[in-house]
Amino acid sequence: MKFRLDTQNGITVGIAELEGRLDASGSAPLQKASADWQTKTPFLVFDCSRLDFIDSSGLGAIVGCLRRSLENNGDLRLAGLTPKVAMVFDLTKARKLFSIFSNAGEAAASFGATPTAIQER
Amino acid sequence: MKTLIAIKEADCNWMRETLPGTQPLLAPLCNKPFVEYLIDFAILAGCREIRLLSDGPLSQIEEYCGNGSRWGIELTYANLHPSDGEPELLRKNRKFCGEERTMILSGCTFIDYDKTLDYRGLASIDSGGTIASCPGGSITLAGPLEPSLTDQPLPPVGLTPIGDLKSYCRIAMTTLETGSSRYVLPGYGGEPGCAIGRNVTISKTAQIHKPASIGNNVRILPGAVIGPSAIIGSNVIIDKGSTIKESIILDNTYIGEQLEIEGRIASKNTLIDPESGVTLAMQDPHLLAGINGGATALVLWRKIVHALAAALLLLLLSIPFAILYPLLRLRGKWQDVPSIPNAGLAESIASAFSLDRYPLLPGVLTGRLAIIGSRTHENRAANHTGTDCRPAVFSYAETEAWAATESDAAIVERYHALHSTPLGDIGMTIQALINRIHYRNPT
Repeated sequence: MKFRLDTQNGITVGIAELEGRLDASGSAPLQKASADWQTKTPFLVFDCSRLDFIDSSGLGAIVGCLRRSLENNGDLRLAGLTPKVAMVFDLTKARKLFSIFSNAGEAAASFGATPTAIQER
Repeated sequence: MKTLIAIKEADCNWMRETLPGTQPLLAPLCNKPFVEYLIDFAILAGCREIRLLSDGPLSQIEEYCGNGSRWGIELTYANLHPSDGEPELLRKNRKFCGEERTMILSGCTFIDYDKTLDYRGLASIDSGGTIASCPGGSITLAGPLEPSLTDQPLPPVGLTPIGDLKSYCRIAMTTLETGSSRYVLPGYGGEPGCAIGRNVTISKTAQIHKPASIGNNVRILPGAVIGPSAIIGSNVIIDKGSTIKESIILDNTYIGEQLEIEGRIASKNTLIDPESGVTLAMQDPHLLAGINGGATALVLWRKIVHALAAALLLLLLSIPFAILYPLLRLRGKWQDVPSIPNAGLAESIASAFSLDRYPLLPGVLTGRLAIIGSRTHENRAANHTGTDCRPAVFSYAETEAWAATESDAAIVERYHALHSTPLGDIGMTIQALINRIHYRNPT
């Protein structure tokens, strides 16, 4: 999982690239890494364009990351869902929990327009 | 008039992934095998002798259709070569065709017929060969003209190719919407647009929105919403709160709780988007799973193994139970055995041996309970109605330390109920016994 900070929109947004499979074995490392990322910024984007597979435990981990972001007055937004991953989000209705964008740049830029982000600035 | 129905494997390659192992002629279209639509049309055209031809295995279809007596026709079967055209088919089946008018239905195509119309005029029209065609299929007439059996003009006959999942899905939905006014469809229905098969259980709080077709042996659990435009196959369970809309759920599929399936085909653990062709094989059996209808031998083997394990436990624990049960009952402490550790020597021993579960063990011998499965003592198994419910003396959740909450325990139970083996169950029972000691007496 690569992580970088983006400050282009006047707000620090953490962009994490998720790759490969996100299942039971990948959930705990994601939760752990997310806790670390939250110390840098509560505004997170998960770039899922290279995520091939997700199961319910991976989904649970992402929802956990969202909950932590919301608790810190931030948000977690998703970008570039592949068709298979999108199907899981549709099936489980998890799509309704997230703001989903076509790419990470758009998702990061979207934070610039949120009331929370404006307040921060 | 006679009919040759010819279908080649190459016409149906797209079906391999969606319906692996299914003969293309048996692919369900609105809960009715594709071949039945072809047979229905042939019967409407006045045919009483039909031959099914395929370059693939025919045993499955022979088993299903038999000799055709259920339709009041004579049905025979033969093989064809992948390169056979219509002249070859006629030549190779000349004994069957004889000197009669013959209709050849070829390719993986859907015939847009209307059951209320009379197609017997096909025997007497001089069409000069093909009367309808589309990419991948045609209806052709050959042989001498026969005297007309009807005064009605011949209704138009249309063909729609079934060349991919998208067209398959579209035809199934069109058939569902057209309903039994045009096609002979399976199931019972008090009103148009809704057909329900045999042995269907629908919860009082479930909703069915027309048009919908539901197969046989289906359970629709509380809060589920079916339709509009939903085709539910046979041996299907739709678990609590799930929504199925504009979708096809194929036979032997379990749909988990609180899911939303819209514009998809679900087949066992596979979810397919017919528009894009994207296929997703789910690995979470509590979301989407196959229902194995042929597991009788495994069930029997599991029951035997569980009964043997229960008999062994009954034997081993009989002496401690015989001594401690009356003692603790007299002291009014028996009900404390499962929960209070170190209350006294007798309670501790009873607790360590899980004697609180001892009275349940005879239930395993009678087949009423499993040795390990879902927890009966918390009355959850009675409430849980999925495919994976196996009321038992010990719970799979007791084998794992992390299952702290009810929902965690349910996940563990469902996982192991679907994946465990009978012998593996014995190991897990021992693990549960050890864990019960450990978690009652944490160090």
